Amino acid sequence: MSAITHTTALWYASRATGVVSLLLLSLVVILGILVNRQGRLPGLPSFAITGLHRTVSLLAVLFVALHVATAVIDPFVSIGVAAVVIPFVSAYKPLWLGLGAVSLDLVAALIVTSLVRAHLSRRAWRGIHWLAYAAWPLALVHSFMSSPDLRSGGFLVLTAGCTLAVAGAAVWRLASGAREVPRAERAAVTLMRTRGPARASDGGAR
Amino acid sequence: MTHNATLPLPGPGQRPAAEGAIPGGRRGLPRLMPVQPVPVGLGEHLERFGPPPYRDAPRKLIGEVEAAGLTGRGGAAFPTHRKLAAMATGLGPAPVVIGNGAEGEPASNKDKSLLWFSPHLVLDGLQLAAEAVGSVTVGLYVHRNSQLYDRLVAAIAERAAAGLDAAGVELIDAPPRFLAGEESALASRASGGLALPRFKPPRASQRGVAGRRTLVQNVETLAHLALIARYGPGWFRSVGTPDEPGSMLATLHQADGAMSVVETTLGTPIADLLRRPAQAVLVGGYHGAWLPGEQAEVLPLANAALRPLGAAVGAGVLAALPADRCGLAETARVVRYLALESAGQCGPCFNGLPRMAGALAELAGLRPAPQVQADLERWSGLVAGRGACHHPDGTVRLVRSALRVFAAEIGHHAHGYCTGTSSRPFLPLPAEAAIDDEDWR
Repeated sequence: MSAITHTTALWYASRATGVVSLLLLSLVVILGILVNRQGRLPGLPSFAITGLHRTVSLLAVLFVALHVATAVIDPFVSIGVAAVVIPFVSAYKPLWLGLGAVSLDLVAALIVTSLVRAHLSRRAWRGIHWLAYAAWPLALVHSFMSSPDLRSGGFLVLTAGCTLAVAGAAVWRLASGAREVPRAERAAVTLMRTRGPARASDGGAR
Repeated sequence: MTHNATLPLPGPGQRPAAEGAIPGGRRGLPRLMPVQPVPVGLGEHLERFGPPPYRDAPRKLIGEVEAAGLTGRGGAAFPTHRKLAAMATGLGPAPVVIGNGAEGEPASNKDKSLLWFSPHLVLDGLQLAAEAVGSVTVGLYVHRNSQLYDRLVAAIAERAAAGLDAAGVELIDAPPRFLAGEESALASRASGGLALPRFKPPRASQRGVAGRRTLVQNVETLAHLALIARYGPGWFRSVGTPDEPGSMLATLHQADGAMSVVETTLGTPIADLLRRPAQAVLVGGYHGAWLPGEQAEVLPLANAALRPLGAAVGAGVLAALPADRCGLAETARVVRYLALESAGQCGPCFNGLPRMAGALAELAGLRPAPQVQADLERWSGLVAGRGACHHPDGTVRLVRSALRVFAAEIGHHAHGYCTGTSSRPFLPLPAEAAIDDEDWR
């Protein structure tokens, strides 16, 4: 096991933020699927999941940015600034880093279109948001193939866990599409599920 | 300056009142409403106002509307000339013009009253607005299955026979839903679909009825426009305030339960409109805000004074909450109604609003769970700004104002005591919520 020194700090930082990014991006995809299907998490109203999806997305962007920046600055391998956004031009592991660059471009498109969502048509925003289903597997393959860390021990378990969780969410998404509450009944269904005197006919009985 | 003219249709708390009428004339009130509460037929309308003063060219009227400073009377108070100008200068096929008389707000009765008493001013305004933007496709969006609807059918036919209308007017059925009058919902309904709000963009002005650019104006705005076309901007500005000129229709709910529609001027003291002291005043309707009674009493009915306090004139609803009612219970009833009026399209709305309604109902009861108020405040932040339309935002505005204004009452409830002595519902609410998509048609 090599020690962390001033020459290896950036290398370790890049690998660590990469792992955290993968975890956060997996969480973002799962939350996104929950938002889309109006799914629930224990102790959270479903509309709070929308906020969580957004917050975790921005946090993931921060870690991805750190991951990329430290990897580029690190003198240990030569990647090049252009390779950050242009796929397959890196001197180091061009294919696997290239997949990371594609994923980064897709994530950037998702974030930018979501930040300016009010100015986009619903259809355009939604179309671009579908790219999330491409961005996540690309990021996974990029991580798994470019980092030997993930291929053994605890990190392998972590990677497998992320993969299973996202795959499970995707399967659930497909399955739940069939049993949707009709539009006109949705608010009434939530109201019935809400505890307390909301069930009373006029809500203000004393 | 206020003129009282209530729609004499059956209904709780309504009464056909003409008291307080100020004789008309070109400078005084009423402008839109007849002096006596009797509907103005076409003959009388032509005698008093003459035929619609067409300018015989598009755009000509827009400068006059701008000089008059007319703003939308549907609630948003958006400058009318800007909507007209955007529509008149846009590219593509000629736009569609729709007069919006849906008035889904249960506490408001002014658009129905105006259409009942002065239908021809509205129909004149519709024609003049259409001419101004170069449109020949014109509609009027109102609730079907009402006495009013049948009268409008007759009025439109009468005008067509007299050759008054440059463009034929089509009546479009509005479902009895709170959100039916929302612009994108209107565009969807007028295109033959369900009256459900859409995500923007595109706005109705960009792609509305049948994909065409669509100008949507509240019926009262159109009636003002018809008068500006006749008497000019100077006349229009002779009442009201320099920033908010002209007259407006308001629906008043007095603390004694009486409901009336009045024509008043912007800037009129609220105390002149609400006869009796109230513990709190609901300003602007169910997407509006509560103000403490003593604060509302010293304010004018003008956005310049109300907006800094988180309230707005809106569509001109003022409701004085009597001292014997619990403001929390009233708000809980209204928010429950608003939650059930969710179109069920946006998660934050159809999940968030029912939860907020449940929490408010608990707050309206005695000894609510201690975290309920914090829940409400947190959820308010989570649903605001998260819908295709402003339904969550408007509901949150009402809830937040209730938490502010009835803070003392919340304290009483926490100790197992409510100051309300009557549980009789005060604010008007329709009985039925939508059960399937057909209820949005």
